Amino acid sequence: MRIIAFLFSFYIIAEAQGQDQKVIYQYKKYEKFDLGNLEVKGQLIAPGDISVRERDRKRFELDLYTRKDFDPFIKKDIESLR
Amino acid sequence: MKWLLLLLISLPVLGQTLSENLEKKKYYYSALNEFFLETYSKDITQAHVERLEKLLFFTGIELLEDYDHTLLEKYPTSSTRFILARRYFHKKDYKKALEYFGKVHVDHRYYPEALLLTAQVHGSKNDYKLEEVSYTSCQKAAEKEEGKADNVKIKRYYRMVYEICLTNKARRLYKEGKYKESLDAYGQIPKQSYKWPYIILEQAWAHYQLGDYNRALGLLVTYKSPLMDTYFFPEAEYLTALAYFKLCLYEDSLIVINQYYQAYRPRFNQLESVLKKNRSSQNYFYNLMFKKGADLGKQEEFVRHIITRLKKQTRFSLDFNSIHKINQEMKRIMKNEKKAAQDEFIDHLAAVKENMISKINYNAKTDIFNFLETVPFFSSELFKVNLEVLSRQKDLVYTNRKLAVDRARGDYSNVKRSRFEQFWKFEGEFWGDELGDYSLGLKSSCQTVRMESAEE
Repeated sequence: MRIIAFLFSFYIIAEAQGQDQKVIYQYKKYEKFDLGNLEVKGQLIAPGDISVRERDRKRFELDLYTRKDFDPFIKKDIESLR
Repeated sequence: MKWLLLLLISLPVLGQTLSENLEKKKYYYSALNEFFLETYSKDITQAHVERLEKLLFFTGIELLEDYDHTLLEKYPTSSTRFILARRYFHKKDYKKALEYFGKVHVDHRYYPEALLLTAQVHGSKNDYKLEEVSYTSCQKAAEKEEGKADNVKIKRYYRMVYEICLTNKARRLYKEGKYKESLDAYGQIPKQSYKWPYIILEQAWAHYQLGDYNRALGLLVTYKSPLMDTYFFPEAEYLTALAYFKLCLYEDSLIVINQYYQAYRPRFNQLESVLKKNRSSQNYFYNLMFKKGADLGKQEEFVRHIITRLKKQTRFSLDFNSIHKINQEMKRIMKNEKKAAQDEFIDHLAAVKENMISKINYNAKTDIFNFLETVPFFSSELFKVNLEVLSRQKDLVYTNRKLAVDRARGDYSNVKRSRFEQFWKFEGEFWGDELGDYSLGLKSSCQTVRMESAEE
């Protein structure tokens, strides 16, 4: 049992020492792509002519006022009586 | 002091109260005030109620408008109930309003008006069926009272109530989208009616809704007649521009809009500045009502038109009539009564008169400002029509199109009319009997044709 405890404490100390070390990640500072060598799989089609589909211009109509009722006139008539 | 007065005035007929003596001498306004002082602390009997009704018959109820609610509650007459019902109506307490309108006696002189307001309460509660029933009852009651009245002014009042009930029926039909039925109802109002000039605009809207833009324009032309120069409505100008726009007569629409901006807008602005200065005055608008036309500035021309319209209102007649009667009573008291009696009653009458002047002033001020308030709204709506016209014209250019008809003027074939409507050509003159029956015969330009290019 003592031996196990001794080994365990030794392991913990070793781990603690390991954590103190800084890990540095380094990325590539420069990488070259040779686009001419890149191969793209597929079919190359060139358009014969350029066309735009004709469509109507979007019209924005203003909401012009139309009278829905004469309620204010009714109120005014009542007020005009007395 | 009071007892001395009582003794002085009631000396000829002892045993009568002061109010009874005042009433006997036809000092009705003083008698009314005295009656309240005498009876307020007593139990009100049927005799009191009948007497109050009699006094109010001579004074009218206008001066009770500001009286305390509790005081009016104490006297269960049809007149006081009518006043209280109107108060509840204006407070939108419709339940109470209906309760009190229901208490106005069938034979009472305010019964037709009570029915008109009852219909309004039902309308506000969206109970259209009961609203219709009340308007019909109102028309019947107003006709009955009109038949009984022997005074021309009273007859006119009942005719006005009758026509308002009829007009409101038409307005209800319009609101429900029943434009043809609404036009039938409007058609029942004779041209001699005080309401008729206002109804033209409403009829024009109904025709507009039915797509008969020519008839709408024709009706609105009526306002250009010299007989109708006091009736200017920004809404009529807007509807004219809109109807032309719907017929794709863009140039005509722009002319109406430009006229409105150039002719009326600066005047409205000037007028507004004049009126705002006197906003808090207690008698400026009252005095304005009696100012002669020649004394009015150019910017006040519109005020004169509005005031002419206000003077034709029943409300003004009633209030002004009260002032006239109070003046008469004051003169008679000053001439016939002793100094003590003069001191006692003249102050009260002067206060009542002042109150009536303030009321007329307030009503005139409110009406003028309400009118002015419609101006910015319709100015902005006209601006929208203007933008829309420009947008349509731009579309025509972009799509290389033009309107099918090059604004060729009217043709009889474009006039829609019923078999009851006659037709004469307009020869540049307005005839009184023709007013309100005009129709333009313009062809709609809304169809477009592709424009031929120079190369083609």
